Amino acid sequence: MMFNVMLTGVGGEGVLTVGAIIAQAAHDQGFFVRGLQLHGLAQRGGTIPTFVRFGKEKDIHSPGITQADADLILAFEPLEAARATYFAHRKKTAFIINDWPHIPVYANLLDLPYPEISDIVKRVKPFAKEVMVFNAHKFALEKFGVPILGNIMMLGYALGTKALPLKEESVIAAIDKLVHHKPAENLAAFKIGLEMGTGRR
Amino acid sequence: MEKPGKTVVLLGNEAIARGAIEAGVRVVAAYPGTPSSEVPITLSRMAGKCGFYFEYSSNEKVAFETAAGAAWSGVRALTAMKHFGLNVASDSVSPVAYVGVEGGFVIVVADDPGGWSSAQSEQDTRYYARMMKLPMIEPCSPQECLDLTKLAFDISEEFGIPVFLRTTTKVSHSIGTVKLGKVKKPKSKGRFVKDLSKYYNIRPDLQKLHMQVDAKLEKIEKKYGMKLSKAFGGNGNIGIIASGVSFEYAQEIHRMLGISPPTAKLMLTYPLPKNFLRRFIKGKKAVLVLEELEPVVENEVRMLAKEANSKLKIYGKDILPSYGEFNVETLMPAFEKVFRKKSGIDFAAHRKKADISVRGLPPRKPVMCSGCPHRSTFYAVKKVFGKDTVFAGDIGCYVLGIYEPFNMQDFIISMGASLGIAHGISRVSEQEIVAFVGDSTFFHAAMPALANLRYNDDRTPLVVVMDNSVTAMTGHQPNPGTGITGMGGKAPPIKIEDVAKAMGAEVRIANSFSQKQLEDALKGLKCMKGLRVLISRGECRLVTKKKLEGKGMEFTKYEIDQSKCVKCGICTDKFACPAITELRNKANKQPMYVMNQEMCWGCSVCMQICPYGAIKPKRKEVE
Repeated sequence: MMFNVMLTGVGGEGVLTVGAIIAQAAHDQGFFVRGLQLHGLAQRGGTIPTFVRFGKEKDIHSPGITQADADLILAFEPLEAARATYFAHRKKTAFIINDWPHIPVYANLLDLPYPEISDIVKRVKPFAKEVMVFNAHKFALEKFGVPILGNIMMLGYALGTKALPLKEESVIAAIDKLVHHKPAENLAAFKIGLEMGTGRR
Repeated sequence: MEKPGKTVVLLGNEAIARGAIEAGVRVVAAYPGTPSSEVPITLSRMAGKCGFYFEYSSNEKVAFETAAGAAWSGVRALTAMKHFGLNVASDSVSPVAYVGVEGGFVIVVADDPGGWSSAQSEQDTRYYARMMKLPMIEPCSPQECLDLTKLAFDISEEFGIPVFLRTTTKVSHSIGTVKLGKVKKPKSKGRFVKDLSKYYNIRPDLQKLHMQVDAKLEKIEKKYGMKLSKAFGGNGNIGIIASGVSFEYAQEIHRMLGISPPTAKLMLTYPLPKNFLRRFIKGKKAVLVLEELEPVVENEVRMLAKEANSKLKIYGKDILPSYGEFNVETLMPAFEKVFRKKSGIDFAAHRKKADISVRGLPPRKPVMCSGCPHRSTFYAVKKVFGKDTVFAGDIGCYVLGIYEPFNMQDFIISMGASLGIAHGISRVSEQEIVAFVGDSTFFHAAMPALANLRYNDDRTPLVVVMDNSVTAMTGHQPNPGTGITGMGGKAPPIKIEDVAKAMGAEVRIANSFSQKQLEDALKGLKCMKGLRVLISRGECRLVTKKKLEGKGMEFTKYEIDQSKCVKCGICTDKFACPAITELRNKANKQPMYVMNQEMCWGCSVCMQICPYGAIKPKRKEVE
């Protein structure tokens, strides 16, 4: 068994944390874990992809994911979902896209309009087994007044839909271990996502 | 502190830090530089608990010397830096290599092929090991980061020589399952023992020391060459020689191609294990050498093959790039060629399809954060000096000024280089010049250049110090202007204005968040002669944000009054704050400017630059 997750979004908006939770939960379930967290310049509002791979130690070596080899792409921002197609394949990749656009300043500066979500889905579809669009940040804003909690909600959603084959209790334990800011809200957001994901299934 | 025997998930850099703690490190000194930054970040958090000393030194040379002094006093010491940091430290590295050390001394150097966090070059540190005559060890995974850091301390102490632990971005920033070992308690005290027979590095003894270091390297190769190399048996007469993360990619490719060629994994990359390699290449038809950047191992294998196997076909940089990073995709064609196997994957076709899928989408380059003091400073400087002024760039978050719409880093060379290069231009050109430098960079390398400007330049460029009082880009580490030490203690901060005044500069200080103060100061300095320094002082907004959140408070948010907005586009086209977005009405194509409330970090500068008074604070709340 080998599972490749790509997380992508905008630097500085919590993508690394969700990646760390997945890695911790996979580790606690006895999987060997490898992955990449790119720190540096991109953390200042650039595109920031993170990779987590888990499975048997003998199968996993490269820290990154090879082209077309992602099982799950968690896109915390629609535009970044389109940019992740390189790692996706129509036979294996599930996309979960958070429909919460973060319009880059370059849309205006270079006069390249930000696309509609339908356009993003159209671009992603040929590379996906399944595309799920979920406005996590909007739900988080309505429920908690804090859109960023949508990140954890996305994680719950991925679990609920079974797009991420990890156990609920191990993810909850990982959140408990790694999230120190507003832990109760994070857990509540996770559970809402989980329920919505399960409902979709 | 996690228990020995336990497995955890660690970042490569965190694993190096854990390795140092397990080895009983007593002194750690570093200047932050990504991709090495998390080594000191982790150690600075652990120092108090684990009983070792930690400091953020003012630059890599000072950090290296601090650690060397401790190692000379008999305790274990570590310094960590990025590849360019070693350029700064190198002046002291070579003599210390000759003299040797008492306590174990590990120099962690992280290279950055691909330039993920280094704008300037892709230099290969492995050449330094050869030039400085210091052994170099290279891990390929977080587990090895831990294990080999510990071993590096042992080797250093056993042979009395500093040891390089070299990583690359994809080792430092990769995560992996790591099994922890036992923590050794650091020695509490050290003592420097005077011994001219050891420290006398003046001729004729200099040659003696040179011979000594050569002998040490030979012994290390003999004792550790085999131990730090691993031959994986396999079928066939074509072999793989790999080190670092390239070894990980090779294994991944072996699985994908269903091959198991004999593979030599090198962990000691200087001195190379000659006996091991001779044995490995003997009888082989061909080898493929996998190493990112320069053909360092390849060239030495070529020399060995002359005697050991002159018919050996050596593949390396003839079929692989010496620039950028490796990954499975870049290596696969070389494997396909050498092993005459097809992966059946058309990487190029998929890439083309993926490229088409993103066509026409706006890029997302890194940007200065909402409320960044640098954006405000750049805006004011451009207003007063115009776009044709030469803008000398430097290293820090303000490198982001290179992008649109500012384009105000005409070149980016190295720490503190803005002043030196600006000086050179000013000697021969009539152009107006502004040299930007940050506070941490000022203490790191700009002070000698400032002294030089004052002494040797009568028509000096204007120096703008972008003072956000912290080393922001690498993760908000303290510097001598911050007032906090690497272990969290307090220290009186050094004021940059005091330093500049002492050197004879005309100094103005402006609040980065006040366009009026900035403009007034800039206009005043523009008509003066001699050494002029503007200190634009404003706290990094990420620091302010954290402070406010800690108090349960929020920034004052700003909003755009649509009735007053004339859609001039200054706030987006010229100021480019990521919190302000231009939306187009689909029906009549009319633009509308909106403030993203979540992203507004309340700096108020957009309000100051709006000529129509259309931007206003939303609520009256005290920051």
